[in-house]
Amino acid sequence: MLETTWRAMHGAVRTTLTGVGVYGYYLRDIIRSAREVDTWPRETIRQMRVIGVESVLLTIIVAGFLGGVTAFQTRFQLFPGVQVSAVGLITRQSIVLELGPLLTALVLTGRVGARMTAEIGTMRVTEQIDALETLAYDPVAFLSLPRILAALVMLPALTMLANTAALVSAWLTLILATDVRTVDYVEGLRIAFTPFQVIYSLIKATCFGAAIAFVCSYQGYIAKAGAEGVGQATATAVVITSVAILTLDAIVAAIFAPFVQA
Amino acid sequence: MKRRDEVLVGLMLILTVIIGVAGTVWLARGGLATGYPMYALFPWGAGLKNGQPVLLAGVNVGFVRKVELVPNGTLLVTLSVKKEYEIPDGTTAAVEPNGIFGDQLIALSPKLAVTTYMAHGDTIPTGKGSATTGEVLTKADSVAGEVQTLAAAIRAEFVTGGGLADIRKAIAELSTLTAQLGTIAADQSRELSTTQRQLRSTLASVDSSVVDSTLRAFRTSSANLAQLTRDLEQTRTQVSSILSKVDSGPGTAAKFLNDPAVYARVDSLLLRLDELVADVKANPRRYINLRVF
Repeated sequence: MLETTWRAMHGAVRTTLTGVGVYGYYLRDIIRSAREVDTWPRETIRQMRVIGVESVLLTIIVAGFLGGVTAFQTRFQLFPGVQVSAVGLITRQSIVLELGPLLTALVLTGRVGARMTAEIGTMRVTEQIDALETLAYDPVAFLSLPRILAALVMLPALTMLANTAALVSAWLTLILATDVRTVDYVEGLRIAFTPFQVIYSLIKATCFGAAIAFVCSYQGYIAKAGAEGVGQATATAVVITSVAILTLDAIVAAIFAPFVQA
Repeated sequence: MKRRDEVLVGLMLILTVIIGVAGTVWLARGGLATGYPMYALFPWGAGLKNGQPVLLAGVNVGFVRKVELVPNGTLLVTLSVKKEYEIPDGTTAAVEPNGIFGDQLIALSPKLAVTTYMAHGDTIPTGKGSATTGEVLTKADSVAGEVQTLAAAIRAEFVTGGGLADIRKAIAELSTLTAQLGTIAADQSRELSTTQRQLRSTLASVDSSVVDSTLRAFRTSSANLAQLTRDLEQTRTQVSSILSKVDSGPGTAAKFLNDPAVYARVDSLLLRLDELVADVKANPRRYINLRVF
């Protein structure tokens, strides 16, 4: 009994350390691949379009609903006697500090991350990656590094657009469907605002972008043979990325929350 | 294809940067044209944050741009006031609660009938703000303390000091008195009933023929009295006629009463009679000459 438990614990620890180790090796390969400056810059631009430009519409739609519902719910959860401008304050803090970057990242995990894993995984199972290595191309420099760089740049940009769309949507919802006036909403938006709150939102978005690209490209990179392997890798990538995003969200909040307060 | 990607990505990034910077500046400073700064020093400003509204006579004229604690322990608050508004001289600033959940605002209270204004960048004198929630709670504590003292005094007077027992005793005595009054009232009621019965009996025993006789005698007396009244009236008329004649008629009495000449002659006559009597007393033989033979 004791021996079985010990073996189980030993196996779990070893598996975890192995997982961390292979991710560490992958990170090392990515850093090394930065030397291949003839390979990754062009692909990075293309990936920026794929990850960023092509996700703008989806991001704005999601953020629009997010802002509208947040403002609407906030208005009707206020206790009697609370000044109406609190709606603007609560909506801004909810969206800029938390919901904007988090939901944008989760949505892009499904749209961009899954696609990333599927693309690289398919290349792996169809031996295209092996072909690249045969042609002396660094596959990490061609497949992983551009995606990670693109995600690092485009996630903050998309988060900024999402925050803006959500706040505009919240304003439209409030003036069209509630008794909150524009002056109240704007007054609430400005209460206790510091530019660092925007930077905090972008820090989160950058971390989330790195997690999406890093995890999803790696899961594609190690996909097993066959269509099932690609599907399995995609599902695993989405799950791990989602958990990683929520974990990073908590870590970033714990580190930076004291600096966010006005 | 490559060129198109670069353009799209560049466009999106530029757009995002513009939106981000413009939005942040708009939220933090109220836009590029932010108005002019004014300053206020407060000894206490719990809950005061940048972005909170600045009201002049209740009208939103700006917002709090910056709150900083200066080394001497006071709060230096930088206000951003819109350019279309001026702060009148004599205006005072106070930190006041905005709602009941701890939010604050800066209230600027202008002095009435002032036509000069503070210069941009001046420090607005600090005035007295309205009561804060803490002050209200302190007042409520004070009231509660007084109520407690009052309750203790009431307990001492009415419970410990026996006041309650006295009240109970007084109530019991009052009940007894009420019962006695009830008994008396019942007795009086019985007596009154008896008196009423006796009165009815007396009234029933009165002889109506005697009453009629009395009434007839009373009528006769009244008739006689009326006749007497008429006779007196007639007499009065006659006396009045006589007096009228005496007063203005040509008779002797009227002349005697009304004519001064008659009075003068009578007076002269009386004088002469006095002189005559005096002379008779003095010289009786002149007038009386008695001879027997």
